[in-house]
Amino acid sequence: MLEVKDLRVKVGEAEILKGLTLSVPAGEVHAIMGPNGSGKSTLAYSLAGRDGYEVVGGNAALNGENLLDLTADERAAKGLFLSFQYPVEIPGVPMMTFLRAALNAQKKARGEPEMTSAAFLKRIREVAAALKAPEEMLRRPLNVGFSGGEKKRMEILQMAMLEPRFAILDETDSGLDIDALKAVADGVNALRGPDRGMLVITHYQRLLDYIKPDRVHVLARGRIVASGGPQLAHELEREGYDKYLKAA
Amino acid sequence: MSDLRALLPTRRVETWKYSDLRAALADAELPAARTELRAASIIAQLAPGVTETQAITGDQVIEERFEGEGLEARAADYVVAPGARLTRIVMQTGAGTPLSLATVKLGAGAEYRQFVLAQGGKLARFETHVNAEGADAKVALNGLYMAADGQHADLTSTVTHQSTGGVTRQLVKGVARKGGRGVFQGKIVVERGAQQTDARQHHQALLLEEGAEVFAKPELMINADDVSCAHGNTVGALDMGALFYMRSRGLPETEARALLTEAFLAEAIPDWLSDDLASEARARIQVWLLGRVT
Repeated sequence: MLEVKDLRVKVGEAEILKGLTLSVPAGEVHAIMGPNGSGKSTLAYSLAGRDGYEVVGGNAALNGENLLDLTADERAAKGLFLSFQYPVEIPGVPMMTFLRAALNAQKKARGEPEMTSAAFLKRIREVAAALKAPEEMLRRPLNVGFSGGEKKRMEILQMAMLEPRFAILDETDSGLDIDALKAVADGVNALRGPDRGMLVITHYQRLLDYIKPDRVHVLARGRIVASGGPQLAHELEREGYDKYLKAA
Repeated sequence: MSDLRALLPTRRVETWKYSDLRAALADAELPAARTELRAASIIAQLAPGVTETQAITGDQVIEERFEGEGLEARAADYVVAPGARLTRIVMQTGAGTPLSLATVKLGAGAEYRQFVLAQGGKLARFETHVNAEGADAKVALNGLYMAADGQHADLTSTVTHQSTGGVTRQLVKGVARKGGRGVFQGKIVVERGAQQTDARQHHQALLLEEGAEVFAKPELMINADDVSCAHGNTVGALDMGALFYMRSRGLPETEARALLTEAFLAEAIPDWLSDDLASEARARIQVWLLGRVT
């Protein structure tokens, strides 16, 4: 499903990803763990198509389609979703307005019929209720004045509405208390399915107690330096990243 | 023949520094100079007739529209009685040279609210001078300008607080495209006796493309010591972080830009505006944005 081969990415003058290779089959959830500065967020932004992340080598494909030639919105329409570590505040644009515009823009790009307001409203109410997000929040400007937990809940709500084929969750656990973490994890787990892949980027093992990965990869100094089953996360929690940093 | 042309301000005149009226009216037919108006502002001199003072009592709303393609100068002089309220709404479209001058004097406890939407023209200038003479006078000045290629929109104002307990809230937002020019000149003066004045002035502008221009001259002159005054002025580009966030959810760049810009401008639409006028203002923003998105 997601195939990343020998990806090299520069930010400014610095090469941050130095030949990263990763494969996530459909139906699986993979975790990427790594110390600060190892390139975790760079990987997320590069895959999503952010300006300023210059791909200097390698490739990345989703379902066999090259992602790197596409703009950020085209990648979204192909089914890629990035849940931000720091969701951006969008003053003056209510969540509902934004999400409906985004959903219909994606449908339009795929040549699918747009969703009617009635259908959209019904669906967003169901999703919000499942995530225990008050409906009033959906009418407020997106993320403006939201707490860390509320912002992450809104990210998962958007993901549930957009129904991506592949989701990247960048440090979704940061800034969450245990209740928010559980709510967010429940939301993510509900979206797991045989046709959907996910990449969960995290610094700590804690999130992986709630979102159980099929595989765990260690990212250090711009490369995947180790891969293994879920037990690898526990090992990292016990032993830290030191041995990988020395090896890398 | 008129010698009014000789009286037009050059750009050396401080208050017309960013708006070259002489150049804008180079080919215009101008009225004859009138000796009795010699001391008046150039806009009052260009306006037909003699500006008469209007006494405002109760709660009055004045709506003005500038839609012409040529020179359209209007001057008005209001005296708002103690406790009375004047609401003035100005909607400017068209591509001419609309010039507007409003002078407002406020009695004790009187209120002046104004909303100007300026789409710019060859040279569009909206000048407002409020003298809050009485105690506890309230002033709300909201403005919104959109300057496309070749369009010039100028919002100039002074608010003078002469008495205690006055309140001013000014919020002006604007956007300019390549070849467009926005001007904001806002002065708030708090005079010596005007203690407990609470004044806030904010101007924010977005340069939508390379080659767009916005000139801002915010001024706060405070001569009293027990006041609360704040001002903020920013001119910049759209937030790239917000733009990427929206695009990563599937919105194409032009749509994301339009949505962000609309939201930015709409903040200047005051909540006291009637629903009809607020929808009209929103629609004008949308049409302006869509009409010129490439």
